[in-house]
Amino acid sequence: MANSSKHILLVDDNPLFLKLLARAFDKAGFNCYTASSGSEALLYLQKQVPDAILSDYEMPEMNGLEFRRNILREDRLKDIPFMFLTGFDDEKIRYSGLDLQAIDYVIKDTPVEVIIAKVNNLLHAVNKQRELSELEIRQTVAALNIKAVPEKVPAVNGLAIDFWHQDYQQIPGGDFIDFIEADGRYLFIVLGDIMGKKWKAWFFTFTYLSYIRAAVRFGVSDTDNSTASILQKINNVIYHDDGLRDILSSVALLRVNRETGQLSYAGAGDLPLLHYRAATQQLVQINSSGLLLGLLPEGNYTEQDIIMNAGDELFIFTDGLIDFAFGENKKSDYTAFAAKLQEHMANKQSFNELKHGLQQQSAQLVDDSSIIHIQKTT
Amino acid sequence: MEVNLTEANLSHSERFKSELISLLNEKQRSIWINMQQVTYVDSSFLGALVAALKHAISIQRDVVLISLQKDIDDMLKLIRLDKVFKIYNTEQEAKQAIV
Repeated sequence: MANSSKHILLVDDNPLFLKLLARAFDKAGFNCYTASSGSEALLYLQKQVPDAILSDYEMPEMNGLEFRRNILREDRLKDIPFMFLTGFDDEKIRYSGLDLQAIDYVIKDTPVEVIIAKVNNLLHAVNKQRELSELEIRQTVAALNIKAVPEKVPAVNGLAIDFWHQDYQQIPGGDFIDFIEADGRYLFIVLGDIMGKKWKAWFFTFTYLSYIRAAVRFGVSDTDNSTASILQKINNVIYHDDGLRDILSSVALLRVNRETGQLSYAGAGDLPLLHYRAATQQLVQINSSGLLLGLLPEGNYTEQDIIMNAGDELFIFTDGLIDFAFGENKKSDYTAFAAKLQEHMANKQSFNELKHGLQQQSAQLVDDSSIIHIQKTT
Repeated sequence: MEVNLTEANLSHSERFKSELISLLNEKQRSIWINMQQVTYVDSSFLGALVAALKHAISIQRDVVLISLQKDIDDMLKLIRLDKVFKIYNTEQEAKQAIV
């Protein structure tokens, strides 16, 4: 089993044994961190969440049981697979350890290869269980037929619309996309990003989408269909919805007039769009003024028209695309993404090629990522 | 308060948010957060900061961010959060501006 990405925290007050253990785990492909006491380990756990913890039972000051109790008090840490190392086969320790939800215990005399095999088995079992739970949620979601991204792209004369979306670690997250046909004349394009990750963010995408769809339809029937006033209407509802008190979202909202091809845009805490002008072969940043939905009663939303000439392209994207991982570190860099996109355009590459490239790199993504592409064809 | 992390992410965000909110409730004062060590903030952690800010605004208090690294400062500007957080380069600067 390959463990190259597995982090383990080893805790023991015997420096020689700790060194031996660390060397063996290192060799087996683990990333090890060692701590010579429970309190040192707890300090480390303030910053890092390892995949597993292997801790000595008999330690001065804070013994293994106390260390374990401290971990169990923190929601963030309590589910990390935990194993006790005991100096001897003591039934009492075994039972009190199990009582503290230690998943296993190992006697220190056990050959180190066997200890590693036990940790591997433990991680394997935990992963399997996690996969099964996720599979169950996925199957339920599939049965409910709810999706935060559409299956089809709309057809509009003179425009080619397409998108790419990737969940973070294959778990649905906070990004959502929608194409709303308000009436025969107007198409609304929505790209949103609920702050947060994974399932928790994902559950709220539907509440947001329901409000957005309702506001767009009310907007059109009210004859006030400006993207800015639609965002303000959504903001009014979300700001006062107690169920969404801590849940904020960015949204880019575009309205396409099918008859004239005119594009209008307002943004709420979204990243600036990038407009590729065929005439100058340059990308231009389009900034909006609005704040994240739900933050303040007045979101300061303003609408602007985006004039697209034949061959122009528009990119609307979420922050997952501007986050980069390099080695152990990560950074957010909008300018780097814009430069990459400029290079892509200079090489006369299509959106399909961009999608292909993004797909290839999707393992390195550090958040949900979505991009909508609109090209003026005629 | 000092964020003693280089990467502020999902695994810290819930605890961070509840700490900020209970601090605001207890002290009824603005919170100053030193972000000097933080090189990357993920969307969950940023969500926690913004949720705390929303709470602070509701009780007429501020969330003050100090010593933001450039990438994070740039990102906050891009999404207009610089208009709602009070942002200063140093504590000294914040003191001069606020106190």
